[in-house]
Amino acid sequence: MRLAFILGEIGSGLRRNLSMVISVVLVTFISLTFVGAAALTQMQITQMKGFWYDKVEVAIFLCGDDYGSQTCADGAVTDSQRSAIKSQLDSAAVKPYVESYEYESQDQALEHFREQFKNSPIVDTVTADQLPESFRVKMVDPEKYDVINELFTPMKGVDTVIDQRDLLEKIFSVMNVASLVAVGIAVVMIFCAVLLVATTIRLSAFSRRRETGIMRLVGASKAVIQLPFVLEGVIAALIGAVLASGTLWAVVKYLIQGKLAIEYPDTAFIATNEVFLVAPGLLALGIVLAGVSSVLTLRRYLKV
Amino acid sequence: MIRFEHVTKVYDQKSRPALDDIDVEINRGDFAFLVGASGSGKSTFIRLVLREDQASRGSVHVAGQNVAGIPNWRVPRMRRGIGVVFQDFRLLPNKDVFSNVAFAMQVIGKGRASIRSTVPEVLKTVGLEDKKRRMPHELSGGEQQRVAIARAIVNQPGILLADEPTGNLDPATSVGIMNILDKINQNGTTVVMATHDTDIVNSMRRRVIELDEGKLVRDEQAGEYTAMIPIVNRDGSRELRTADPRDQAIAPFDTEEDEA
Repeated sequence: MRLAFILGEIGSGLRRNLSMVISVVLVTFISLTFVGAAALTQMQITQMKGFWYDKVEVAIFLCGDDYGSQTCADGAVTDSQRSAIKSQLDSAAVKPYVESYEYESQDQALEHFREQFKNSPIVDTVTADQLPESFRVKMVDPEKYDVINELFTPMKGVDTVIDQRDLLEKIFSVMNVASLVAVGIAVVMIFCAVLLVATTIRLSAFSRRRETGIMRLVGASKAVIQLPFVLEGVIAALIGAVLASGTLWAVVKYLIQGKLAIEYPDTAFIATNEVFLVAPGLLALGIVLAGVSSVLTLRRYLKV
Repeated sequence: MIRFEHVTKVYDQKSRPALDDIDVEINRGDFAFLVGASGSGKSTFIRLVLREDQASRGSVHVAGQNVAGIPNWRVPRMRRGIGVVFQDFRLLPNKDVFSNVAFAMQVIGKGRASIRSTVPEVLKTVGLEDKKRRMPHELSGGEQQRVAIARAIVNQPGILLADEPTGNLDPATSVGIMNILDKINQNGTTVVMATHDTDIVNSMRRRVIELDEGKLVRDEQAGEYTAMIPIVNRDGSRELRTADPRDQAIAPFDTEEDEA
């Protein structure tokens, strides 16, 4: 009976305050979508790190004709320089850091290039002698890149040493900034949501002051008086959280899985099961936000 | 049932106490009128019984319990033992008669079956058994007050506090209300009624507790109330007072005080 009664009270409260309730739903929806988007971006970064860091190498590019750097002043790399580099890679000082290495000639470089850019018209204009030959070094510990860099950069015949992780770091930092922006927007929106819940509860308490006054006098417990108000806020926030989770799921399912993952098959993307990890957090966040703000508001505006 | 032991209530240190060293006991089954001019302390008396306020000094005992010793979370339970009736009825306008009375049972968690059996019985006590589907605005003032009384007694409280229950009613209707209160009292409920209505006090011949400027000036078993309190001010000037709902012990639920 008591449950049915409280549910009835909640229902009438929601109906009486419909416009406010809708605005609470929408604001929590937007704010939690941003929270979820930030979380998913972080997950995507972790995913990509795991995927790419296994594959990245340190590339030692060798000199070709007329390369600008100091070590290439004598023109293209000679056979003896090439074998000196190779023996340096095999030497005792370098060996412990190197898992394996591979030599890539200009022809092989062109082949890789063509494969990588097969959809682009640039392929037809590039020839093998425009691409540098290189040693592709796979490190035991990619963090030890500096050792290779210091040893090989000054050698004659070496143009540059490039850590491919640097390229990835740039992508990750862009994604990090994006997720920070999302968090920033989320914080502002959550603040709005909290204030809106407070205002809604206050209005609701005002429009039901006759009922609550009578409830007090006939000895209704604090819980029975306050619960409908708190649940009103919580339900509105919960609907917002469900909408946010649904939106994130749809974005991941149809935009990322359905489009990006197909267009870029050699990149790891988050899937809908990541959304299912984030969603409970969003629901909990919505409940906690609405619950706390309504309890605080009631303490101020509803005498019990 | 209600015992005040040297109770003083000070709202504001600068002005005189609202109640000044009141020492009175109302026994189980009593019917007591609480009379006195506006500002004499009747409302404070009722608020202290309900533990809307607490005594500054002395102790208030309700149903054998010192109300100061009741923790806040137990106050609702204590209030279930007290029914309250107001001058302005305070019914819920969007609920019919039955639902208004049932509301008092619902909010303290009574079951559907007990509501179905109790509410018609109580409506019969107040003589409204055939109007239970009416809305409050379809009822006369006397009928609305009877609904309010039914709501106050539906949970079988040991004490019924009536704050000017006839203040908005004409004399003939008031008699009907008094008969109902008398009947409730005969069933064993302690009734305390604050009133300005001299006719009622004089014709009922029940206990009269008179307050004046916060002091207990009279406590008679079968008293009369002859002072023309609603009309004569303390400085001797004469004035006709209309009943003001703001004088009530518990302010109407739609005034500003409720929002503070």
